[in-house]
Amino acid sequence: MSECLLETRAVTKSFDDGRIQALRGVDLQVQAGEFVAISGPSGSGKSTLLQLLGGLDVPTSGEVLFQGVSLSNGFDLDAYRSRQVGFVFQSFHLLPTLRVLANVQIPMFETSLTARQREDKAAALLQEMGLGGRLRQLPNELSAGERQRVAIARSLANDPRILLADEPTGNLDSENSAMIMDLLTGIQTRHNMTLIVITHDPDIARSAQRDIRIRDGRIWSP
Amino acid sequence: MNLMRRRLRTALTLCGVAVGIAAFVALVGFAKSFEAQWLKLYESAGTDLAVVDKTFLNTSVDGSAGDKLRALPQVASAVPMIMNLMDLTPEVNALVYGMPADSYELDPLIILQGRRFHAAAPEVMLGEILAENLGKHAGDSLEIQGASFRVVGVFRGGSALEAGAAIMPLRELQQLADLGAKVTAFHVRLRPALPGQSEEQRIQQARAAIEAALPGLKAVPARDRAHNNQVVALARSTAWGTSLIALLIGALGIANTMAMSVFERTREIGVLRALGWKRWRVMRLILLEAAFLGLVGGLLGLAGGWGALRVLALIPATAAIGQSSISWLHACEALLIAVLIGLVAGFLPAWRGARLSPVEALRCE
Repeated sequence: MSECLLETRAVTKSFDDGRIQALRGVDLQVQAGEFVAISGPSGSGKSTLLQLLGGLDVPTSGEVLFQGVSLSNGFDLDAYRSRQVGFVFQSFHLLPTLRVLANVQIPMFETSLTARQREDKAAALLQEMGLGGRLRQLPNELSAGERQRVAIARSLANDPRILLADEPTGNLDSENSAMIMDLLTGIQTRHNMTLIVITHDPDIARSAQRDIRIRDGRIWSP
Repeated sequence: MNLMRRRLRTALTLCGVAVGIAAFVALVGFAKSFEAQWLKLYESAGTDLAVVDKTFLNTSVDGSAGDKLRALPQVASAVPMIMNLMDLTPEVNALVYGMPADSYELDPLIILQGRRFHAAAPEVMLGEILAENLGKHAGDSLEIQGASFRVVGVFRGGSALEAGAAIMPLRELQQLADLGAKVTAFHVRLRPALPGQSEEQRIQQARAAIEAALPGLKAVPARDRAHNNQVVALARSTAWGTSLIALLIGALGIANTMAMSVFERTREIGVLRALGWKRWRVMRLILLEAAFLGLVGGLLGLAGGWGALRVLALIPATAAIGQSSISWLHACEALLIAVLIGLVAGFLPAWRGARLSPVEALRCE
């Protein structure tokens, strides 16, 4: 039986002094090594759920647990995000003034790696993403697909157990979308990582081991 | 470099810091030179102590105190002196010293023209710069506050303060300034230290003996007097005051630049926080940028201040006091202040940046 890596218990999240209810009692379990898609219409709360799972935010009520430990009450969310989670965003979020090689090293600053080790590891990850010849480029010198591959390399910098991707193909054409999803699923399989992807794309949702649909802040079974 | 994104803003910020540091380097440097000249003034004559009333601007020490001073076993010689800032012409004012004709303080002076003055004669000696400014030579006459004096000599002193000064017989200056028998100070040379007595003990024991013999008067070591006299203190506080205003403007420039930089990079800070950077690391990044601005501005200011000192060293009115070189200590002080300004000015933007919620920051357009 596989390990329950991430869990939410009766999680709610509200904004604007409770006037906006983004999540309304979400119970979810994600196993280690699982590929889960979270889909639903815009404003349904799927990105909010991803933020809570990734320790970017805390629930209004309920709990998010990582390996059975609650992420609230003094849990070091910075360390959790740095060591356990890799993020891939729809708009890449690369730092425009840093070269590709430096962008990938950003998460490694919270580790004990030396500058040389950081650089070597970043170069190896970029090589793995097929960007070995682009190490010294600035992000604006790359295509959208290449930028997302840099972002994926960055998400893997600290060997996380969980990869969280928020609409990773949202800004890409179909060819690049397919390449990025192949990369992500390949990584998930090779490293036995937990991959959680937020998506609007029914094909991506179908390709996941499990498609969790959200509507109006609740998990919904059609 | 994030600061390179807004080059004009960064350049203007650097200019602000540079002006502040240049003002500090030039003005405080000039004040230090001024203080050094005061010290030279005492050291060149071998004065150990100055016996004064309340302050050295008060010419209120009774001339009869000299006898009591000379009677003390620690005192080798004690000479009265008056120091007065006087208008010699409508354009030229200068320090005028009154001294006895046999004062030991006249001994180190090099007579370039003429001779020393005689006691109780309306005679005056001019420092070489003052003589040049007045266009006077030995043998000329000079009218000071309605009284006619004969310029009997032109001298070069150990201190630039003497080069721009006039010296006349003590009695003449007392009459000219209507001081009666009052003097500004007695300058005292002490006897050498006794066997087993340290230099510090020699000075302290002599001070105690003098102040006990002359209640109400103070015996001030030469170094303290050079450092703490009111003219030096005024020059120092004016230099620091002006510099601080300029430095404050520079600091506000850095604070503004860093606040705008943090505001413009809100989303990037959100990315760093999302990728696990701790608050202190974000804060350190912003503070390092602010300190870097301070350092570069400081280096530019150091160059500017050095240039200003070079100019002051070329102007006749300030050439004698000004130094065209900057001491390592002064340069380090300037750079330290520049970096500290960067850190202080960058603190609030850094603190605000570090406290950004990753989600809020990532949402920022």
